[in-house]
Amino acid sequence: MLILRESSYIYVRNLKTWLAQPTMIVAAVFSSAVMYLFFGEPLRGITGLPGFPASDYQAFLTAMVIVMAVVFSGSDMAMVLLTDIMSGYVDKLLLSPVNRFSILLGTLAIGATRAIAQVVAIVLVATAIGVRFEGGIVGILAVIVATTLLGIAMGCVGLIIAVRTRSVQVTVNSWLLFMPLAFLTSAFMPRDLITGWFQFAVGLNPIEYILVAVRTIIIDGWIWEHIVPGFWVLLGTSAVLVAAATYEYRRATN
Amino acid sequence: MQHPPAVAVRGLEKTYPGGTRAIDGIDFTVEQGEFFGFLGPNGAGKTTTIKILATLLPKSAGRVEVAGIDIDRDARGVRASIGVALQEVGLDDLSKGRDFLVLQGRLYGVGRAEANRRADELLELVGLSGVGKRKIGSYSGGMRRRIDLAGALMHEPGILFLDEPTSGLDPQSRLAIWEHLEQLNAQGVTVMLTTQHMDEADRLCRRLAIIDHGRLVTEGSPSALKAGVGGDVVRVSFGHMESPDGRTDAALGALRQLPAVREADTTPDGLTATVDDGGTAAPAILRALNDVEVPVANLAVTRPSLDDVFLHHTGREIREADADEDAESRVWGQWMGVNRR
Repeated sequence: MLILRESSYIYVRNLKTWLAQPTMIVAAVFSSAVMYLFFGEPLRGITGLPGFPASDYQAFLTAMVIVMAVVFSGSDMAMVLLTDIMSGYVDKLLLSPVNRFSILLGTLAIGATRAIAQVVAIVLVATAIGVRFEGGIVGILAVIVATTLLGIAMGCVGLIIAVRTRSVQVTVNSWLLFMPLAFLTSAFMPRDLITGWFQFAVGLNPIEYILVAVRTIIIDGWIWEHIVPGFWVLLGTSAVLVAAATYEYRRATN
Repeated sequence: MQHPPAVAVRGLEKTYPGGTRAIDGIDFTVEQGEFFGFLGPNGAGKTTTIKILATLLPKSAGRVEVAGIDIDRDARGVRASIGVALQEVGLDDLSKGRDFLVLQGRLYGVGRAEANRRADELLELVGLSGVGKRKIGSYSGGMRRRIDLAGALMHEPGILFLDEPTSGLDPQSRLAIWEHLEQLNAQGVTVMLTTQHMDEADRLCRRLAIIDHGRLVTEGSPSALKAGVGGDVVRVSFGHMESPDGRTDAALGALRQLPAVREADTTPDGLTATVDDGGTAAPAILRALNDVEVPVANLAVTRPSLDDVFLHHTGREIREADADEDAESRVWGQWMGVNRR
């Protein structure tokens, strides 16, 4: 399993690079705390609307905080990768006899690690402010697994952006691309209560289904009819994005 | 036992997307254990060639064997047998110097204990033992080149490709790198480097190829190349003479009689002579002038430099050639090297 060993070297290097930039980690954790502060407390009255599915708005928001953090991490990943391309470090790796896919795996694995770290941090913050996870411990684990996969998928989007454009300008602003993915969702308000074009757009956004599944596990527990579509969408999206990233990566390194 | 050459290149061509012809059909061979230099101005095709040899860039045509391995057939085999330090250094600023070395070793399949041992050894060799625990981002330009060189040596490659290893360094750092390279070559490592500095090529390389506009202009040892340009020049200025009439002509005649002198001419204050070897010709010239009773105030021997070689073969000085080059297009040209679309 040479490829796994090689990937682990690249992974450890990427992990050290990430840990060497504490601001990035602090930002990832704090942004979630700020989300609760900005939206949780002031908007809690929304729960009084007829048909609102949760009594605790903080709990309702938790899924949004998690999914949004992971979606936007795709943009971070793009920047991290672009830095390595621009500095010539990627060339240095390509000059070595390691398998091309070890480099790809080591890179995507860091997307997964970041997602796990963020979700765990958010779950801790949520628990601290009194959010109850109806899905229990298994539910929390399921949410972590799901968002890890989402983290890998978003890492793939980041990789495609960095490898395709090789432009700092585009990459720095790539969060604009992730914004509709994150906001054209029922993040703040259940889909039934949204109207017009927005409701239509939300229905087209794959992230919405993942968000609903995660939220269901948090606020309602195991209601399968709300969870299963998200599961399939997550699986399908990840498969497509991993394939696309592999293709792009292959094209760029051959 | 016959060793394959370290590098064998036949009919190498490279055309970048967009039509820029960076390499226009070059052939050369580097034998094992050689110290070989690729000399040329910016944009001549040096970096492109090194990147192709190192398997980082695909060629457009031709055949390349490195360490006896065809790069088209087994690129990974080639990568495992060579060490490469490119001009765009490609270091990981957030990594500590020693960690970078250990990782480099591991990526080339060196075991953990061995990688740690080599890292310490190489930090010592390149004089960075004291800063191995510091992040590379805090290193000076010279230190970065040295850690990069150490990284290229972690797996003890038999062949080393270096792209302008000392460009932009202060004289002390240059000298330190030169000494490391000479030491490595003495241990049997084949070194191929590119440079645009005549003094560097002159000091280090036992054989040189001069490249300009993607073509090899000439090839040979620095001394043979210089000898090919023409001989040494001896300049003589005369001392005070009571009756100078006719003396200059007598001196010129005496010099032209000497077998060592190829050409001689007068200057406002004396003579100039082109000779094969200034060292042996100078005493003979002094004796001949003494015989015709012409006093000598000063005598200087100048040897042709590699600058003269470059000028002789390309009709330009290497500095002028550099000035021709559009710096921006060069940076992007190199960038496109990785960004092959």
